Amino acid sequence: MDQLLAKWTKMLSDFSILTAQLRFPARFFGDVMKSSYLRAGAALACAVALSACGGSDGQLVLGGSFSGVTKTGLVLTNDGQEKAITPPADGTGAATWAFDNLISTDDRYSVEIKSTPSNVERCDIQNASGRAGYHVYTVYITCTLKRHALSGSVSNLKGELVLVNGSDRVALQAGATSFKMADVAEDSPYGVTILQQPANQTCTVNNGSGTVGPADVTNVAVTCTP
Amino acid sequence: MKSSLIRPALALALAAGLAGCGGSDKAEFAVKGTISGIVYPGAVLTTNGMDLPIDPPAKPGDPVNFEFPNKLEYGDVYNVVFKSTPQFQRQCVTPDNTIPNFNDTAGRLAEINVTYVCIVNNYPLSGKVNGLTADGLVLANGSTGGAGTVTKPAAGVTTPIDFQLPNVSYGTTYGVVVITNPTGQVCTVVNGTGVMPDAEVTNIQVNCVAA
Repeated sequence: MDQLLAKWTKMLSDFSILTAQLRFPARFFGDVMKSSYLRAGAALACAVALSACGGSDGQLVLGGSFSGVTKTGLVLTNDGQEKAITPPADGTGAATWAFDNLISTDDRYSVEIKSTPSNVERCDIQNASGRAGYHVYTVYITCTLKRHALSGSVSNLKGELVLVNGSDRVALQAGATSFKMADVAEDSPYGVTILQQPANQTCTVNNGSGTVGPADVTNVAVTCTP
Repeated sequence: MKSSLIRPALALALAAGLAGCGGSDKAEFAVKGTISGIVYPGAVLTTNGMDLPIDPPAKPGDPVNFEFPNKLEYGDVYNVVFKSTPQFQRQCVTPDNTIPNFNDTAGRLAEINVTYVCIVNNYPLSGKVNGLTADGLVLANGSTGGAGTVTKPAAGVTTPIDFQLPNVSYGTTYGVVVITNPTGQVCTVVNGTGVMPDAEVTNIQVNCVAA
């Protein structure tokens, strides 16, 4: 909106220069207009003032919603305009978005994904193109986060052990030497803890927590007392 | 009218005519609908003097379709509400982006179709942090619900301070861990793992000491 205001202000000031010129005595004005350079300049000023009314600065919002965006890097484009999507602070990865500049009624639009965050498998776009009849709130971007395995080793287990990573739960039986939890999204935290110890044994978890990087987590080690 | 055959025939015609005016031809409306999110037993729906017990779906996650035994007549007002909600599911509400449709007049719409969604009780995961003197502590409930940063207490405030992680549903496991230690300190978690009871968990303790 600030941009719009600036343009209107400029247009008004351009207009007042023209009217100021008109207030000069006609003879003088005629002399001035004899110069072809000045005439070309005036024509240019007129063209600038007119173009400020039309073009890409319309009245309609072009936007929609997105999901699966947990870090920066998603950039959308439409007709040369770019919009970098900021991940929401609440950690949900989902929110609404809109281009900063407005489009005009009947403008054709075609939203494209220029780049994606490094932690996504892919981003899909729904209702990417059309012609604006009213505000467009229907361009949906869905990003799918890369997921990585969360696994590790178990030693000396002689009974049933139950491991959890938040809401994910895995039960291990006596003799198990490895375990695998459900896959975890890249950049998400993880923490393997013990929900239930085996009978007459105490197990501890090493390297159990952290943030999932660009590779699988395989170094979680569960060690049980003899 | 003297004919003995004509008289019964007329009586029959009259009877048929009267029957046409009565019950069977009236518009009737089945009170039915769909409930999603039912996990536990114990739900009873009620409307117009009828009670209808609702069982959880055979396949977890499926919606449950219901229909009351008696139909309503045109103009009857219905108000399908929960006499009791499923166990551990206090909240059964109209789904988001749906106009409430449990209370209306039969015949205003071509069909009665009540929609509800039931939510498993969920509670915050909270506790205390002891000995925190620096910024940078990040806690998380495993990979569930994202990470939560705990900032050091303001000047003049002594520990323990409270922390809270996103809600966890009844019956779901949780495991609170330290993702990042505060600068110059090491923190350990006590009572961090469990299964969410039907009440808020408040006994998680995070103890921080100098590294």
